[in-house]
Amino acid sequence: MNGIHDLGGMQGLGPLIREPDEPVFHEEWERRTFACLILTLAGGQYTVDELRHSIERMDPARYLSTPYYEHWLHSAEDLLDKKGVVTREELARRAAEIAARGRD
Amino acid sequence: MKHEHEHTQPPSDPALRIKALESLLIEKGLVDPGAIDELVDIFEHRIGPRNGARVVARAWVDPLYRQRLLEDGTKAIAELGITGLQGEDMVILANTPQVHNVVVCTLCSCYPWPTLGLPPTWYKSAPYRSRVVIEPRKVLAEFGLAIAPEVEVRVWDSSAEIRYLVLPMRPDGTEGWTEEQLAALVTRDSMIGTNVPRVDAAATGRGK
Amino acid sequence: MAALPREIVATAIRTGASARAEVGSAPRFKVGDAVIARNMNPTGHTRLPRYIRGRRGVIQRNHGGFAFADTRAHGLGDQPQYVYSVRFEGRELWGPDAAVRDAVYIDLWESYIEPVPSR
Repeated sequence: MNGIHDLGGMQGLGPLIREPDEPVFHEEWERRTFACLILTLAGGQYTVDELRHSIERMDPARYLSTPYYEHWLHSAEDLLDKKGVVTREELARRAAEIAARGRD
Repeated sequence: MKHEHEHTQPPSDPALRIKALESLLIEKGLVDPGAIDELVDIFEHRIGPRNGARVVARAWVDPLYRQRLLEDGTKAIAELGITGLQGEDMVILANTPQVHNVVVCTLCSCYPWPTLGLPPTWYKSAPYRSRVVIEPRKVLAEFGLAIAPEVEVRVWDSSAEIRYLVLPMRPDGTEGWTEEQLAALVTRDSMIGTNVPRVDAAATGRGK
Repeated sequence: MAALPREIVATAIRTGASARAEVGSAPRFKVGDAVIARNMNPTGHTRLPRYIRGRRGVIQRNHGGFAFADTRAHGLGDQPQYVYSVRFEGRELWGPDAAVRDAVYIDLWESYIEPVPSR
């Protein structure tokens, strides 16, 4: 698709910013996202092509403004829901439970 | 037509989202929690650019290895015990005095994991992906690398499943160095092609 | 589809999952052939970027057969094709302001390209 991901030759997307001695993962949630995505991929839930295409269909503004591993999280949630493996309803319920536990 | 965008829902905290997802995947028997820790450990501590540096150093000292590397990158890299996910089909790009190579994935973030580990954020981000194919010399200059006009710049867009590793030229002043000493000179950026190995940079500890 | 157990994770990572696949027919192109990237605008997944479409390049290498991303992304199977490394001059892609010695090399599945008719 002619999506936001097709960036070759675009201009105005900002300066090259490099973090010296950047860690492999910046946050714990990135580690977990990386691992869950690779393990579900290895488990045959989807192909890498499906994952890429799911990311391509993100809202363009969010694609450009969210951290990289949030793209992975998006694609895992999107495809697992589409395949009926983990629904958005289940995720929302579980997230609410976890958030409630955190507030106690 | 159904909208796939998320703009109708407020964005929610990725940390909360992954906690929810991970717990459900574990509950449903789709992911083993021990496997999560093992996988993170592999990519955080056991795979990284030091692998690629060994390949480069070997090619610098052993001309027959260099030949094998250029003929069949996957097989030659495997001789050093380096194989696997996102490196199953490797092609090595040799820099020469006439040609400088640099690698990108304009469409996403494809990168040779077994030799270089996971890519840095800049490699996966919009500015690098958009600019390096159209103004490579300007981008390389921002990395501190000046390319003479008579040198050809080849930008390799990893659009399929082949993964590329740049074999930089061996720097002057390294005659008689051991493979280990040479490998220490080889930076991650020099194997992506956004920089070159330098003897002085290694001495000061700078230049990833 | 069972969970990958901890004990085999390292082996699985070291093995990977190559997308190589045999193609049942002969390659359409050979090294040195002049080709033009198709002007195609699929709404589904493709690995042919817009900056290459309609541009002329030269075949550098045949990487062999690989599963086709455009079909695999939509559950339509591997449908293997040859993947070629194709060289595009910077000035062909970006116009006369590009450096004369810049080039882009990109990997294209066979159905992304057409021959340039020879005169």
